Amino acid sequence: MELLITSLIAAIISIPYSLIIPGIERKIQARIQQRIGPPILTPGFWAVLKFYYKKDVEPIAFLSRFYKSLIWLGIFIVLFLLFFSMPSWWNILGWASILGLVGLLKLEESLYVFMGAQSQSFLSTTMPVPDLAKGAKGIGIHREFLEQHSAERAIKMMAVGSLPLYIALLVPFAIAKSAMISEVVRVQNPGFFSLAFSLPSNPILFTVPGFLATIVYFIGYVILLNEKPFSILKAKIDVIEGGVLEYAAKLRAGYYIMRNLLLFVLSSIFVTLFLGIPFDPLKPFYLIFNIILSLIMPIALSILVAFSPILTFRQIYPSAVGLSVLGALALIISILGV
Amino acid sequence: MMERKVVEKEISIGPVHPALIEPYRIRLFVNDEIVEDCEININMAYRGIERLLEGLPVEKALLITERVCGICSNVHTWNSVRVVEAGLRIEVPDRANYIRVLINEIQRIASHLIFFGHAFEVLGHETFAMRSFLLREVFMDLMAYIGGNRVMPAVPVIGGIRPRADLTDSLKRVISERINDFEKKYREYVERILADSMIMSRLTGVGLLSKEDAIKYHATGPNGRASGWNYDIRTLMHEYEPFDFEVIVLNEGDNKARVVQRALEVFECLKIIRQILKNLPEGPIVNRDWIPGKMNYTISYFEAFRGELMHSCALDSQGLIRGYKIRTPTPTNLAAMERACVGDHITDAILTIASCDPCLTCCTRVEVINFDESKTMTVMDIMKKYGRR
Amino acid sequence: MGLKAIARKNAIHAMLVYTGGCNGCDIEVVNAIFSPRYDIEQYRVLITWNPREADVLIVTGCVTWQMVEPLKKLYSLIPDPKGVVAVGACAINGNVYKNMVGDIGVNEEVFAPVDNIIPVDVKVPGCAPRPEDIIMGAVKAVPKLMEAP
Ligand code: SF4
Repeated sequence: MELLITSLIAAIISIPYSLIIPGIERKIQARIQQRIGPPILTPGFWAVLKFYYKKDVEPIAFLSRFYKSLIWLGIFIVLFLLFFSMPSWWNILGWASILGLVGLLKLEESLYVFMGAQSQSFLSTTMPVPDLAKGAKGIGIHREFLEQHSAERAIKMMAVGSLPLYIALLVPFAIAKSAMISEVVRVQNPGFFSLAFSLPSNPILFTVPGFLATIVYFIGYVILLNEKPFSILKAKIDVIEGGVLEYAAKLRAGYYIMRNLLLFVLSSIFVTLFLGIPFDPLKPFYLIFNIILSLIMPIALSILVAFSPILTFRQIYPSAVGLSVLGALALIISILGV
Repeated sequence: MMERKVVEKEISIGPVHPALIEPYRIRLFVNDEIVEDCEININMAYRGIERLLEGLPVEKALLITERVCGICSNVHTWNSVRVVEAGLRIEVPDRANYIRVLINEIQRIASHLIFFGHAFEVLGHETFAMRSFLLREVFMDLMAYIGGNRVMPAVPVIGGIRPRADLTDSLKRVISERINDFEKKYREYVERILADSMIMSRLTGVGLLSKEDAIKYHATGPNGRASGWNYDIRTLMHEYEPFDFEVIVLNEGDNKARVVQRALEVFECLKIIRQILKNLPEGPIVNRDWIPGKMNYTISYFEAFRGELMHSCALDSQGLIRGYKIRTPTPTNLAAMERACVGDHITDAILTIASCDPCLTCCTRVEVINFDESKTMTVMDIMKKYGRR
Repeated sequence: MGLKAIARKNAIHAMLVYTGGCNGCDIEVVNAIFSPRYDIEQYRVLITWNPREADVLIVTGCVTWQMVEPLKKLYSLIPDPKGVVAVGACAINGNVYKNMVGDIGVNEEVFAPVDNIIPVDVKVPGCAPRPEDIIMGAVKAVPKLMEAP
């Protein structure tokens, strides 16, 4: 019972809260670009409401039912990611552990592959312009939708890109010498289990491996969210938005929620794991601290986005490998050093 | 004979797409991520300008030639005026020539800044793109002060310039203040671009175009000059004789060179503008002493912002236009880019195409395809035969 | 004003389609979007390149025959409610391409008024219109969106 109530409260708090994050991001970018920028609620909150009120249309997709269901699946995955980091879920089976988190993240990533494979937007191959008979350079060649190409890129990103995040996720667990989140919090913030509020006594963030892991975690966060320097799978200039192109009306609102929630949840998990302040709906002080501190990552992200171009695979492979090495280094230090 | 490569799939982009705001279609033939072959279809903006001009009085025709392209409107007006002036032997006063050069260089800078905006947008770097559009506003304002419209200043008329576009002393002062201010900011901007390692890693070594290829495909203008081909028609034009400027030639021939070449060229334009402001001669601005009459077929070559531009036409005895012909730089530039983007990643290939600064509205006209039975077909015929899809 | 209308007023996604013509209008629209001096985003207009996301379609240029079908298709893909803004003399009446013809009489390449192809709500005249006007045009389409059921 308590489980249900806390989960419900968590969902009710986190979804609207996550919707102001894109507004803050946009505002920061706009300030860097010397302009005023949209009001804070516009890109997230009002946009979602507006899409919700639009008339539903059928997406052009290979299996449109399946395509539509992917969005709801995505939202549930992200919500469960948040639930797993909540204290009331900590003693349910082994889910609140590194395995649960990594498993869900992997699922989340693979959604983009399915979306890309399904969506058939008219912006590429099916555009009604007469171009088939011309040139005759490649007659009879398989013509691919942009989204399918995006799906291929998503597979590549799954293979290399997400490695840094997982390695960085391992570090706090290695320091706590346990696979459970509760132990990670206990190491950093022993008072959490008894007091109404206590600041963490020895947060992992301020140790050497913890700091290295934070850097890697941040970049991994950017990669997992497909944001600017690593946004190759939805690079605006060739695949436009990738697999999510065909979502319209309510489904688009769902997509916005899913993406922004992931933005929030990943940084909330960061605060839980590296600072020892969990997202606990039953202890309001921790809750408030957690959601305020989890703004840091999106803000850092928006600054990074404003100053970086899109990288191609030429640059992504080396940088992902380099970051993984850095993460592995942090892991080794954390195992040896304690 | 070129060996036919095995190609896995085709990715087609456009005409409605964020990377190519203008309507054209890119077909990339790729293996995985690597572009093996590329084809650009550019006839989507065809609106039959050369046919429209047939039979119009010359002065009226200026309205249409100005609307060949909105980025380089002045180039087309001036060049169509030059054709008639050369054919009918009309003397142009010195002051008019100076002001024509002034507006042309102002628009050249604006055009190069659009290029930066577009290139950085394609690169994914919004901040620099916006910065370049912000810098460009200076020149849009100046164009509005001189010509009365931000996009279509319509300065040259046959025999001189429009009286409205004459430079007053206060306007001269405004121009020199603005360009001094601009130069300071612009220098900072260029330095920041060159110092940004992430951008440079995207630009260097991508989209190589050798000098031989540049000459073979006739990639004129900044693209040819970035490949080491020293070819600038401004050095041959009598209007540009009084001014002292350098032709910037770089040898690398990659995307970085094409960006840097334009960045440096803007400084040369500023140099020319300063010289104009300093030694602008006094005197009349327009020579109305001419009558349209029979004119033989005349050709005028011109250095547009993107390369070599040709206008040519003849007039019949009533002064109506016959046989107007325009050849703009972009078709040949694009042909060179089709060559240059082979062997790169898709994202880089689109950047390469953007880096030649395509401006397609001007270059689309009759498209004829030669089939084996040596039959010519227009696009309309093809569509009738094969259908749209 | 219900929540629906407020939401629609506060977030407008605009999409640009360019259908021929010279580049002037096109660059001015891009200017209105990208130049920090005009910055369309501060008026709650966000830019998108995906018809599924758009509310307002900004059409520029005289529609050439190859662009007719894509334009129709694009319009049909936008979920209701939607508005169309025709920017520039070309989109409104065909400008010189339609009205200043020499010997040929009728220019068959140009299908100009956009009105002929898709319903237009707001017209922004000018050749090329100033970015201020374009922003105003995009915002003027909002009441129609707000009143829609
Ligand atoms: S209205 Fe004028 S500026 Fe706009 S596209 Fe047409 S000719 Fe160009």
